Amino acid sequence: MSDSRDDFIIAIRFALLKKGVKQKFSLSFLILFSISIIFFDKFSIPPVSFVKNIISDIVYRAAVIAVVPGKAIMYVSSQTKKHLTIYSENIALKKEISLLKRDQLDASFLKTENENLKLVLGLEKDQITERDTVTIARVMIDQISPYLKSLLINKGTKHEIIKGMTVFSKNYLIGTVIETNYLSSRVLIITDLNSKIPSIIEGTDVNVILAGNGNKNDFTLDYLPEGFVLEPNKIIYTSGKDGFLKAGMPVAETYLNKKNELKIKSLADPQQASIVHIVRGQFKN
Amino acid sequence: MYTFKYLKAFILKSLPIIFLYYLSFSSFESIKEFQNFTVFAFNLHMILIYFYLLKYPDYLGIGHIFLAGLINDVVIGTPLGASSLSFLTMCFFTTYVRNVTLRPKMTAEWFTFIPAIFFSNLIFFLIINNFSNLSYYYIEILSNSFFTFLFFPIFYFFFKSYQSRFKED
Repeated sequence: MSDSRDDFIIAIRFALLKKGVKQKFSLSFLILFSISIIFFDKFSIPPVSFVKNIISDIVYRAAVIAVVPGKAIMYVSSQTKKHLTIYSENIALKKEISLLKRDQLDASFLKTENENLKLVLGLEKDQITERDTVTIARVMIDQISPYLKSLLINKGTKHEIIKGMTVFSKNYLIGTVIETNYLSSRVLIITDLNSKIPSIIEGTDVNVILAGNGNKNDFTLDYLPEGFVLEPNKIIYTSGKDGFLKAGMPVAETYLNKKNELKIKSLADPQQASIVHIVRGQFKN
Repeated sequence: MYTFKYLKAFILKSLPIIFLYYLSFSSFESIKEFQNFTVFAFNLHMILIYFYLLKYPDYLGIGHIFLAGLINDVVIGTPLGASSLSFLTMCFFTTYVRNVTLRPKMTAEWFTFIPAIFFSNLIFFLIINNFSNLSYYYIEILSNSFFTFLFFPIFYFFFKSYQSRFKED
């Protein structure tokens, strides 16, 4: 009994303290070093944060090179898929164009009317204007892991990017800046599990929280009133209740999936974004 | 000619280290392009570390594992040091298993991989829960761990056949 306990202790001590032939550090030293890094990172001590920012910038640039083979494979596969479906897509597009042409006249009339009414009411425009845009950035990597779904962009504090700024792709909201380095930043995608947006449903005065559910393009609605029946093809806008995002920005829409279940999908596709606009939320400053 | 041969041998021998760094930089999880394949997401870092530290510890230094963990944390956005500590926990288990194993068998090594995955993931979750505000689905992590365990034999034979070229060492 005592011998087996001794063997156990010896094996553990050997694993922790003994260095291998080509090992430069012992396991116990590296474990203690990791723990100290975790604590330093948690309490964001200025010199440590500075070093972390430099490391992040270097690692992000290197990561861009590392993902090239993966991106190349994805590109070839998506191009092949596109070529295979080009005929059916062409027919569908022709139909869509004829419908769109019909709607275009109505839309231009409504747009002018809407702009005029907004002028009368003294409201701002919904579109991102050049004045709103702090900077335009390129997406370096789209990072999809079980813990965090984010984008890495090539602009940082040097370009006046700060935490909390909102990020748009093709006029649709795609996320918020959650980490800034000198030359790069991380954007939390709206479909991530950690993303919550105060919203309002089209044609109603129901305030809800549009929460990412971690899936590629889907959302869930939190705090929906009891008995409220959600209908398909409804746009969900930001309500501006958080005091940060502008009210009335279209974010998602409801739809019926193949199984006839009501789902909510993002209007933008954050993972397809390559160029993004970064703005200052409501410009309170 | 001699230099080229030496360089080639050096690169081939360092391939596990290069591969580990590549995985950290590209934060490999699964084949993302095909939606159904994300179901089979697994942690190749763990398999690589477990295999090499168990069978060929001289080919993969723990210093490199520590550094690869830090890079992985920076890329995926988890607290700095979380992956490193998780990988080092895996190293600790692997070294312990290697020390107490008298007759190595693939099946025995496969099953000792379960507690190694369990404890290294446990350390990772504890850090994420206590040192960050990230939320995640436990079921997703559980499925990731399960497929990491399941795919181990495939990579075991793959890595083993690769290492067979260095038998003279």
